[in-house]
Amino acid sequence: MTKPLDLTLAALADPTRRAILQRLSHGEARVTELAAPFSISLNSVSKHIRILERARLVRRRRAGREHLLSLEQKPLDEAAAWMAGQRNIWNARLDVLEALLEAEDVATQPKT
Amino acid sequence: MNSPKTVTIKVSRRFRASPERVFDAWLDPAKARLFLFAMPTGQVVRADIDARVGGRFLIVDRRDGEDVDHEGEYLEIDRPRHIRFKFWVPKYSKHFSRVSIDIIAVDGGCELTLTHEDVLPDYAEKTPKGWNMILDELAKLFT
Repeated sequence: MTKPLDLTLAALADPTRRAILQRLSHGEARVTELAAPFSISLNSVSKHIRILERARLVRRRRAGREHLLSLEQKPLDEAAAWMAGQRNIWNARLDVLEALLEAEDVATQPKT
Repeated sequence: MNSPKTVTIKVSRRFRASPERVFDAWLDPAKARLFLFAMPTGQVVRADIDARVGGRFLIVDRRDGEDVDHEGEYLEIDRPRHIRFKFWVPKYSKHFSRVSIDIIAVDGGCELTLTHEDVLPDYAEKTPKGWNMILDELAKLFT
């Protein structure tokens, strides 16, 4: 089973999909509206949208004959939180290193 | 979809110490055992460092009576500017990631940039999410 975070990161790895998300961050849109700025076919835009839906980054709702797509923020927040957690692990290690070196400075300072 | 997606993590830090002192800390077993891979709930019971290109390191952290090996190999060493190593935790995964340390002198001290490449989210999720604990532990150790 693929983990949600893997799906999110895989979905975000493509510039077209990031551009689609960017557009959706301004609000709901139709598939045709999303496809308009791209030189690629409607079919391949749909493929990108399906990947985004699988990663639960995009939600689809039907209004009459139209499909409206909107951004789902939660997986993005989770990915960002995971990245922040990874950075914090290293930051904590660098905190210890900094404290170590400063403790050395104190120990070697000439007493006045 | 099966190809593992990896992530790059980057952090920077200014130190008041010289580039040489900050650089040497990464390759000095006595210091590395205190800051590198030490988990707050664990205790580093072994730190072997063969500080040359192609040399290996082994840092063993004991967590709840269980030993967790952190193995690595130095890919580049250029004192006092640059270290690059790959490392893996055999207990959790065969996957290895790469860490680069870049140090530049800035007035009276230095700035270190750490780049951790090829971080696998799948594996990382299994590592303790306890960076809060790390920070708490730090406060205890260095007050």
